Amino acid sequence: MKALSRILLVFMAALLIGSAVSAQDEARSLRITFSWPNYIDPAVGSDFASSTSLANLYDTLVFPMGDGTVSPWLAESWTISDDGLTYTFTLRQGVMFHDGSELLASDVAYSFTRLKEIGEGYAYLLPAATVAASDDTTVSFTLEQPSGLFLPSLVRLYVVNEDLVRANALADGLYGENGDYGKEWLLTHDAGSGPYMVEEFPLAEYLQMAKYDGWWNAASFVPNAADRVRFIGTTETATVRSLMADGELEITDQWQTNEALTALDGLDGVDIKTFPTMTSFYYMMNNRLAPLDDVHCRRAVAYAFNYQQALALEWPGTQQMVGPVPSTVGGHNPDVTVYTRDLDKAREELAQCQYGADIASYPIDVVWIAEVPAEERFALLFQANMADIGLPVNVISNPWLSVVENTSRQETSSHIVTIYVASDLAEAGLMLQQRYHSSTAPTWQQNEWLLDPDLDARIMDALNTADAGERFAKYAELQAYIADLSPSLFLYDQLQKHAVSSRVEWTPEANSPVMGYQFYLPLIGVNS
Amino acid sequence: MQRQADALRRLGLFLARRLVQSIFVLFGLSILIFTIARVLPGDPARTALGARAPQETVDRLREEMHLNDTLPVQYTYWLGDALRGDFGMSLVTRRSVTTDIAEFLPASLELVIFAGVLTLVGGIALGTLSARYKDSWVDNLIRILSYAGVVTPAFIFAIIFLLVFGLALDWLPSIGRLSEGVPKPPLVTGLITVDALLAGQLATFWDALQHLIMPGVALALGSMAQEARITRATMADNLNKDYIAAERALGIPERVVMGRFLLKPSLIPTISIFALDFAANLANAFLVELIFNWPGISRYGVNAMLRKDLNAITAVILILGVVFILMNIVVDLVVGALDPRIRLRAARSD
Amino acid sequence: MLNNASQPDHAVGRSAIDPHRLAQIERRNRRERWGRAWYKFSRNPLSVLGLIMVVTITLMAIFAPFVAPYPQHAEPFTDFANASKPPGGQYLFGTDEIGRDILSRCIFGFRYALVMGVAVLSLVVPVGVLLGLVAGYFQGTIIDTIIMRVTDIFLSVPPLILALAVASVLQPNLTNAMLAVSLMWWPWYTRLVYGLASALRNEYFVVSAETIGAGTGHILFREILPNMVSPILTKMSLDMGWVVIIGSMLSFVGLGVQPPTPGLGTMVAAGARFLPDQWWIAIFPALAIVVVVLGFNLLGDGLRDLFSAEES
Repeated sequence: MKALSRILLVFMAALLIGSAVSAQDEARSLRITFSWPNYIDPAVGSDFASSTSLANLYDTLVFPMGDGTVSPWLAESWTISDDGLTYTFTLRQGVMFHDGSELLASDVAYSFTRLKEIGEGYAYLLPAATVAASDDTTVSFTLEQPSGLFLPSLVRLYVVNEDLVRANALADGLYGENGDYGKEWLLTHDAGSGPYMVEEFPLAEYLQMAKYDGWWNAASFVPNAADRVRFIGTTETATVRSLMADGELEITDQWQTNEALTALDGLDGVDIKTFPTMTSFYYMMNNRLAPLDDVHCRRAVAYAFNYQQALALEWPGTQQMVGPVPSTVGGHNPDVTVYTRDLDKAREELAQCQYGADIASYPIDVVWIAEVPAEERFALLFQANMADIGLPVNVISNPWLSVVENTSRQETSSHIVTIYVASDLAEAGLMLQQRYHSSTAPTWQQNEWLLDPDLDARIMDALNTADAGERFAKYAELQAYIADLSPSLFLYDQLQKHAVSSRVEWTPEANSPVMGYQFYLPLIGVNS
Repeated sequence: MQRQADALRRLGLFLARRLVQSIFVLFGLSILIFTIARVLPGDPARTALGARAPQETVDRLREEMHLNDTLPVQYTYWLGDALRGDFGMSLVTRRSVTTDIAEFLPASLELVIFAGVLTLVGGIALGTLSARYKDSWVDNLIRILSYAGVVTPAFIFAIIFLLVFGLALDWLPSIGRLSEGVPKPPLVTGLITVDALLAGQLATFWDALQHLIMPGVALALGSMAQEARITRATMADNLNKDYIAAERALGIPERVVMGRFLLKPSLIPTISIFALDFAANLANAFLVELIFNWPGISRYGVNAMLRKDLNAITAVILILGVVFILMNIVVDLVVGALDPRIRLRAARSD
Repeated sequence: MLNNASQPDHAVGRSAIDPHRLAQIERRNRRERWGRAWYKFSRNPLSVLGLIMVVTITLMAIFAPFVAPYPQHAEPFTDFANASKPPGGQYLFGTDEIGRDILSRCIFGFRYALVMGVAVLSLVVPVGVLLGLVAGYFQGTIIDTIIMRVTDIFLSVPPLILALAVASVLQPNLTNAMLAVSLMWWPWYTRLVYGLASALRNEYFVVSAETIGAGTGHILFREILPNMVSPILTKMSLDMGWVVIIGSMLSFVGLGVQPPTPGLGTMVAAGARFLPDQWWIAIFPALAIVVVVLGFNLLGDGLRDLFSAEES
């Protein structure tokens, strides 16, 4: 009995110490939930969690602005040769990596070579080029052909500390004399110069970052910027909810259901913040599979769908898509054909469709992604809507990996796959390329199988136009053309939604829509 | 002396035979898993590096993974690596599977050991209570509860606990192994509670213990109920034996009768079921770890399976197989030690 | 090996009772035992409860379209106006996020749970029993060694893990989930039957059948098998529950029944997203799983008590 009471005493003491420790640590701490995994190697990561981490751990030559343009960042200035092929950047001096060594032009060259050689992550965004560092502050890239996207894509060239990476690279690896290119080490460490640095990263649990006071741009930290930031690797509704209720979380991930958000909104000191993104929700129709291989049948489907009811299933404020690209990207064309539910028009189009008379014997499959259960209700709504024009629909759920596999071959691509697609950069042309260029047909980004060489040429021509005004005009034409083709249903531009504690001062809508920069941590304030 | 040496020799012989058998079983298991993993369509090297990696890198990885050889040759390479503890790279975490397992296994072990302690203590206590007050309302209550425990899958307990104690009442932390800001103890065993005690960090110990409660209890309830039922059944059987009546007649206190003469011999089935449950709990932890975001090997395994991370899948199954086989051997040893009447049989058939 | 036809009766060294008559007596005794068994079984209220539960669930599953208040809710169906309604008069168990009646979906969920259990057992029991019979009867031969060593390999890992692994490499659907579970389940029957068969093979009626030159098939299926029906039936009844649990676990992680088909595990997983506010979406399907498992366990325990009482 004595022993028992002694143990109890120890427990009580421990409890007191425990609460003291957590109270002390409450100051200026920002915790956000994210989906897992999170790859913080600049040559590997490209999803939302990774992009957000990379944006805060590393610096880039240029910085993406809220209006879709880029501004000088590590590069103070640059010149472009007359043939549009050579870009020469002059670097800011005195930029220090997290280990205290100086960032030099050779680090930029090394980062580019490393990214292209590994070839994962955002490597595909950057065009092929030769890179040379002529002195410590001058680096030049020579492209193989002119590109309107080169400058905007530099926001994905995160500059790594060459010496540090080399020192931590394993000799044994896939990359010849570069060994493993430091991939294993960079999995859980950073080699950057950005405003935050990795403090602790137990994989599958959380990424903990600390404020870097030696940041070259330290003046732009808001006064109450967090000292310590933790990206927690969970999106489980129940756990997120209890963390938020206990004040152990400042911002939730964007994957919470509307029901969960409504409940979170009901908590004291928690509000829902929404802002537009570059992500849109498409019903990708297989343009090579009857009855959707006839443009009139596709238009009939587009006119039969009830977009307003679909929006009502989403968070208030969500807008229907206008044309084939999100309205947040540069070069978006607001004057294109927009389909709204109109059963008369739908029947008219159906009458012109070669399968119109016999549409009941052409059932179509709608495949939604099993990991995104919220998609189910849209698929069921679609099914109910199509019954109005006599088109039978099978609703099917498939896990993401099966969708990736099935959309990679024309013969296994379903009639319709429902997918959210994010534009990699704030450029309408890039989204058009991602969605409708033949090169993406064998990927999940395109289930349409347009395979139209003329369209391909027009998209590439637009992308290679260096002058922004001219480029955007070409984008506009392309959008109008594709909207009339009705290759897909354009459901809505996604609104990103987070439950946010009132301790947080955060204006994501002012930041660039480029993925990852909504959470630019130096600009987020936390009050204790 | 002679008898002791004899017993030792028998023990050694038994162990040797069981080990040889286990090696055979593991070998078969490895072939089975390898086959499951390699019948998949698709190029593992391409999958590992992503759709956009340059072809030459993929080719180099194919070469390194011996994917251009025939399946039996691939298997020998794979087995050779596996024997050296190298299971290749994980597709999800992008590092060596061995590193992953070294990191995630202790978390699972901590959970399963905690659940095991609860199972044993709770199960025997409830079973004894039930047998002691046989056919009273205590007995009936325990029997009904343990029935409910046996038939309810652990993941349903987990969801209900999370709902009630994590969310509605908010008594216990609902995710992870430690709260934020609580200092981590220096790594010794990988079991945070143990490491914290070793380092004298009581606050950390207390916090880690709180995190263990919900997943631990959710995991333990099923086997605890099972233990209670078995303990009760064996004790009830032995209760009718003549020698118990004799002891009671001799005026030996009830406590002593229950403890020394009744409980001890009744423990054999309890212990043998317990050891098997302990290993099975490593598997049952799959969904419990998922629900409580517990960074253990089971959650790792499920994620690997959902993402077709073959190297990780094969490694996780093999490791769990090894644990399962070891526990089986331990059962035989413990049962043999508890009951000298049961001779160690080289090949248990049940 | 079984070429005993030429052996004279006395070679066995047993009494010279006519083996046919012996078998007749055996069979009559068996019939009488069944009658007594039912009487005993019906006196244990828990066993009877189990039987009633199992029968009720089975009937509900079979006649689901007539029993369920809203049978169309088990098919693709939307009623967003009535989404996430708490349990009440119109919807006894409430509705899910799409406006579907959870009670109706649970009743149809029984259907998929039972289909899973029945399909797995009807695949697993014949295979497992046959292998166990053969291995047990030919104990000590190479056949025994091969069958039982392979069985050991499958038994060296908890069945859930291997089932998960197999299901994860296949396309996720009900059929493949059943295949995956079946692939991992047969060894348990093999081992059970092996133990029984190797004991029975030395019983007098087997030996006497051998003596009069009965074929191997006759001995295995007419002499040995009928004597192990009770433990096999008991195990099947208990296993129905475990298969339902494993099936629901596969569905919970997305490797089993796919929505909108109402699998119970799938419904729990989908409903877990709405905890704690819309608790009914997850909790009722979870309870439905418990009810199915409980029913089969009660029944199985009743059978076991019965048969073990018979033996002693």
